[in-house]
Amino acid sequence: MQAAVFNALSEPSRLQIVELLRTNPHPVGEIAETLAIRQPQASKHLKVLAESGIVRAEPRARQRIYHLLAEPFGEMARWIDSFEHVWEVRLDSLGDYLQTTHTEEGAS
Amino acid sequence: MITQLLKKKELHFERSFAAPIEAVWSAWTEADRLREWWHPDKTTVTDCEVDLRVGGRIFVITLASDEMGKYAGTRWPMDGTFTRIDELRGLSYDAKSWTEGDEDSATITHTNVLTLSSEGERTLVTLHVTITDIGPKAKLAAFGMKWGYKSYLDALGKQLAGPPNH
Repeated sequence: MQAAVFNALSEPSRLQIVELLRTNPHPVGEIAETLAIRQPQASKHLKVLAESGIVRAEPRARQRIYHLLAEPFGEMARWIDSFEHVWEVRLDSLGDYLQTTHTEEGAS
Repeated sequence: MITQLLKKKELHFERSFAAPIEAVWSAWTEADRLREWWHPDKTTVTDCEVDLRVGGRIFVITLASDEMGKYAGTRWPMDGTFTRIDELRGLSYDAKSWTEGDEDSATITHTNVLTLSSEGERTLVTLHVTITDIGPKAKLAAFGMKWGYKSYLDALGKQLAGPPNH
């Protein structure tokens, strides 16, 4: 686990920003307003999130619009899949075990 | 928020084994047998406790071996309580799994329903796992996979997908 990602998401305001951006991209002003924090503070949080690859800014007119990068959420689904995979492997292992013991017990 | 993406997650497994139902039941319900097959490759089971009664405990600690590189020595406990015991037919248990040292934040809570049925000389095993909750750090770990866990899981997945070497 990279510390940067932990740091990025371990701060409540930054998690709130992630939650906010899940529905729509927002400019920094709106983000600050929704979270009831000052804009420089919001910018600071967004900088951390951007550096960790969680959000990306796109300049539009005179504003920077922040949106969430989809990839980490896809990774989350994959993480759950890995839980499933462990079970598949575990059941394979059970099959091997049963084959060994059943054959042994049958032979004895 | 992030939990909404996960909500409840249902996993369903179904396998037919060339073994009598008694053998499958023993493999699941006797600690000495359970510990023989529970661990994925590159891990070992260090603790295994099965108190086969409703309210009894099913407790397994899996330890990452030296082969797992930087994860070597990591312990992953699973601590569960039986909620249903139906001799030779099935059982259910509620459990939590976590990374030792991170219990508060890295815990996954899941319910597990095991059903056995005879198919002549074979036994059909169905297992239904419902992930009901996932701790904050486990959520972050899900994010972090892209940067850290991904390579570990890819490697683990590759290892696990290989032929079993038992």
